[in-house]
Order: sequence, then C-alpha cells, then structure tokens
Amino acid sequence: MRFWLVRLASVAVVLVGCFLLQQWAAASLTPYLQSLVFLAGGYVALAVSLNLINGITGQFSIGHAAFYMIGAYTTAFLTATFFKAQPLDSTAWVVLMVVAGSVVAGIAGLVVGLPSLRLRGDYLAIVTLGFGEIIRIVVQNVKALGGSFGIDCRVEPAPPSIMLMWLLAILTIAICRNLLKSAHGLPFLAVREDEIASSAMGVQVTKVKVTAFVVGSMLAGAAGAIYAPFQVFITPLNFDMYQSFIVLTMVVMGGTGSVTGSAIAGLLLYLLPEYLRLMKQPGTSKAISIGGPAVAAGLVGVIVLVWLLRVVQAKVVGSKWQRWAGNLGALAATALLVYLGSLALHGVPFLRSRNYTMAELRMAIFALVLIALMLLRPAGIMGHHEFSWDGIGKRLRRRTSGAKA
Amino acid sequence: MSENATPVLRLKEATIKFGGLIAVNCVSFDLMKGDLFGLIGPNGAGKTTCFNLVTGLYPPTSGSIEFMGRDISGMASAKIAKLGICRTFQNIRLFKALSAVENVMVAAYLRHRTGLGSGLGLLPSAIRETKELRRQALELLDVVGLSDVAEERSGDLAYGRQRRLEIARAMATQPELLLLDEPAAGMNPNEKVDLQQTVRRIRDDFDKTVLLIEHDMRFVMGLCERIVVLDHGEEIAQGPPDAIRNDPKVIEAYLGAAV
Repeated sequence: MRFWLVRLASVAVVLVGCFLLQQWAAASLTPYLQSLVFLAGGYVALAVSLNLINGITGQFSIGHAAFYMIGAYTTAFLTATFFKAQPLDSTAWVVLMVVAGSVVAGIAGLVVGLPSLRLRGDYLAIVTLGFGEIIRIVVQNVKALGGSFGIDCRVEPAPPSIMLMWLLAILTIAICRNLLKSAHGLPFLAVREDEIASSAMGVQVTKVKVTAFVVGSMLAGAAGAIYAPFQVFITPLNFDMYQSFIVLTMVVMGGTGSVTGSAIAGLLLYLLPEYLRLMKQPGTSKAISIGGPAVAAGLVGVIVLVWLLRVVQAKVVGSKWQRWAGNLGALAATALLVYLGSLALHGVPFLRSRNYTMAELRMAIFALVLIALMLLRPAGIMGHHEFSWDGIGKRLRRRTSGAKA
Repeated sequence: MSENATPVLRLKEATIKFGGLIAVNCVSFDLMKGDLFGLIGPNGAGKTTCFNLVTGLYPPTSGSIEFMGRDISGMASAKIAKLGICRTFQNIRLFKALSAVENVMVAAYLRHRTGLGSGLGLLPSAIRETKELRRQALELLDVVGLSDVAEERSGDLAYGRQRRLEIARAMATQPELLLLDEPAAGMNPNEKVDLQQTVRRIRDDFDKTVLLIEHDMRFVMGLCERIVVLDHGEEIAQGPPDAIRNDPKVIEAYLGAAV
C-alpha cells in the first residue's frame, strides 16, 4: 500500500513538474530558448536510451539518429496525411504519434538488430552506421515523404511539446534505472561483460541484446515523434550522421553504463555549444570577441594545461588537498603562460589583424573540452557510478567522520 | 527403467572435428547420480573441448550426449544451463565489473519468475525477487567462503577467490551436474585442501554430481572416485584412481614410453 502511494506521488510530482516547465517556458521564454529547453530534454532521452544499448548491454551502436528519424518521419507522414481529417486534439494526437513512432522504430530496430546482434564484436557498429545513412538517403528520395525538400507536419494548436519531451526523458531514465535496480538488469550487464560466460549461466544472449536494442530504438523513435511537430518542418538533414555521433559522444562522455552520466552529458554537451552560440552578435552584451594572439595562445595553453594536469595526476600522490593544490597550480601556470604568450604573439602581424567571436570558435572550444575530458577522465564524467541519495549520504558521513578523526 | 539406472550424463562416442583436427574422438562415459568424476590427460588432450561439447558451446560432429536420458547434443548453451548443467571456466570468465554477489545473482536469475516488465516498472514483485536472489547468492558465497568480499568488484579479487567465485556462480543456477574446469589451478597447497573439502561438500550436502578437470594428480586422486583419461582426443583409460595410477597407457601418455 505504502509502495503504491509513493509510486503515485512520484508520478504526480513528475507530471506536475513537467506541466509547470511547459507553462513557464511558454509564458516567459523566447522561441529560441524554448527550443533549447525542448531539445535538452530530447538529447537526454536520446543519450540515456543509447546508453541502454551501448553502455549497459555493451553493443556498440552508432546509428541512433536513424531511429530518431524513423519516429519523426512516421509522425510527420501521418500528421500530414491524417491530422486535419480526425477529431483528436493536438496533445492526444502527439501522444498517439509517440505510440506509432516508437512502434515503427522498434520494428526497424528488430529488423536491423536480429541479424546483426547474433554476431559478436564490431558488426553492429558497421550495420547501424550503414543503416543510418541508408534511411536518410531513402527518405531523401521518396516523394511521399517530401524528399530532400522536407515535410510539413504542423499540428495546430501547438502541442505542449516541452512537457511531453521531458516526460519522455524522465520515463527513459526511470526505465534504465529500474532495470539496473532490479535483478532483471543483471543479464544485460552480464552480456556486456562476457557473452560466453553469460550463455553458460543460462542467459539467452541474443534475446537480451535484441531486447535492449529494440527498447532503445523505441525510445529514440518516441523522441522523434515528439520532435517532428515541435519543429513543424523536418528535412533529412535534421538527422545526419552528426546527430548519431553527438549522442554517442554523450554516452561515452557520461561514462558508459551510467544512466546519470548519460543524462548529465546529454544536457551539458547539447547546451555548451548552444551557450557559446549565444555570444554571437558583436556589440551585444553577450558577445565576447577574442583577438588572434589570444586564440593562438589559448590553443597552446589547453594542450599545456592537459599535459600539466596529467603530470599532477601521475606524480602527486598524497591527500586530496595536495592534489587539488597541484591542479590549481597547473591552472595558474597555464593562465600565466597564455597571458604572456598572447602578449608575445602581438608581435605577429598575421595574428594581430584577426578577431574571433565566441560563436565562431564554439566548435573548436567544444572539441577541446571533449579532448580534455577524455584525457583527464577516460571513464567519463560518472565512470560506472550512479547518482543516489544513499551514496551522497555516505559521502557526507564519511567527510564528517573524517573531520572528527 | 528406474531413475537410479539413468545416468546423469552419458557421452556416446562423442566426436568433434575442427577442420582436419579431431579434438575429441569417440569418447564415451557415464556419470551416475552423485558421482565425483575426474577427467584428466596431458595438455591438449581435449578435456576442455569435452566440457564445451557438454555445455553446448560446440555441437558434436558425431555421437551423442545425453543428460538425464535426454539428448542434448547441439542444444544452445543457455538451454542446457536451464536443464541443469553448469560449468566453471579454466581461464576465469567472471563478469569483472560486477560485484561478487552480482556475479552469483546473474546465475541465480536463471530461475527467476517475474517478467521483464515488472523489472522496468520496479514493481513490488520484482523488488522481492531481487532481494530473494541476493539472499540466495549470499548463502552460496558463504559456502565457498567469500561472504566478506560480497560487495567487491569481482575483477579485483585475488586469483584463488575468483576461482571459488566461479564455483559459487555455477552453483547458483541450481544444476544437477556441475562441471569444474581446473578449479585448483594457481592455488597454493592450503587452498587446494580447502577446495577439496568444498567440492566434497557440494556433492554431499547439495546432492550434486560433479565432473572435474584437473592437472594436479594429488588433488584428483584424493578427491575423485572415478577417472577418465584422455590423450590426443581419445579415451585411454577409465576406472578408480588406483587402477588409473598403475595403468601403463596412462603412464606412457604422461611420461612417454619406456625405451
């Protein structure tokens, strides 16, 4: 009884929370910021669902955008064809489309996964990579789906897309977390660790892999189904290889297998370049422009910083504080180097005449952040760990008891 | 036919060829309920391949394998495990990133009753079952003496402990027949004596049939009641330890022929 009360209460909190988010965003955010909030939820859903396949079950899939696209195009096609001729209101219609999109994406996942998941190793990576491109090129050439021009899938009045997308993101997180909390997640982890030992322990390896793949694909399809009406007009270019790779990057950066890590990385890696993009128009308060010498010195500085931090990691053994002092020292040394370097580089006319805005540099900065993160935390932001209230409690207790001793 | 007369495991002229190489050639033996059976032979004799045949990793090229009177040749590994044959691996194959108790729980999961849906929804039935599996796993860890490291990452355990964890994991599938592939490899003499007791206990207290591969002659001779000797994929002797010890063919296989 108590269990169901708690369960009911948490579902209610999530529903109300997402509803309030929708109301707040619609009332007080610009359309651009609304799309940021919307897509941040979308990338969380995509990253966490890919993590189910890549991180938890250990099957290297790099075509997640294909299933996202299938969900989106299923919705777009059905909306363009049937929306005007049916009595449902826009929210109910989008919910129906989520079901349709995830089922079609799930079937596609089954068709792709069943043959390729029987094999071990990298075959799945190759097949999913190819599948993503094939789907995109096929859509580009099918007139009924709008071809390369795109397809209009307006749903009027606009559905509460932000609420739906965040509900999906939270549902995805809940599914993965529950799986890992119950014994039902163990076969998935076991398949990741050792397929032969798994099958000797009675785990039906292919069935487990296909299950993970199909569930992951369905969740991506559902995300696509919510994305299409929000975007109003979609083209195959919305789902190119960059999308697959950025989602894969999120999973790896978050720490493969960690649901928390994927969710955090999904947010960060989507919002970071967008935040940098905000600093675009010169003259506005957000615009930061950087001179050529500083950019050049900064580039060298990042490399030096990563190198110094690695030296600190390897050489400084001792208490946590000593290591932090080492890190800060490395940071200070780098800052000094960058400052002096940019002064010195002012002597180079080629660099002095150049000026860059943050928006121009954003992908370079993004790439540097990724490289630095991989070098300093190869296991990802969270490693194999998960966020839990118990864990935080333990950490706090340890800290206080350590302080007493 | 009464149940006593049906062998737990029967290999009938089991043969497997990899290209031109005959790894196991017409090997036949019967294991009766409660046997503690040894499978020995020089390196490359085909002992582990025999295990792989029995556990369905490879289908036999010819001949048959019966488990409790049922033909299992060519059946999938997972299905054979479900029927009641489980094994350990010579080159340890634990789920390294999982904790010791989780390793055992993976195997115990074989007998799960709730559906995947209840797990995804984290329903009370799934929570109860997870707790029950954990309890079973902890009990088994106690049998092999690993309770103190239950929550540790299995890949970080000492070698001898990893071997014992493999045994606990295999036991967790509740097998009728337990196959142990060199369980004592890399253990020191004290650990080996402990292990002998554990294996005996598994047979006596848990009522299992055990087939084991081992290179340490003292270990095998002191533990097993019957032994089959393989050499170059062929069965060269079968019988109680004393007979095996004095069998000229066995001595020849291990030490070479007298000049």
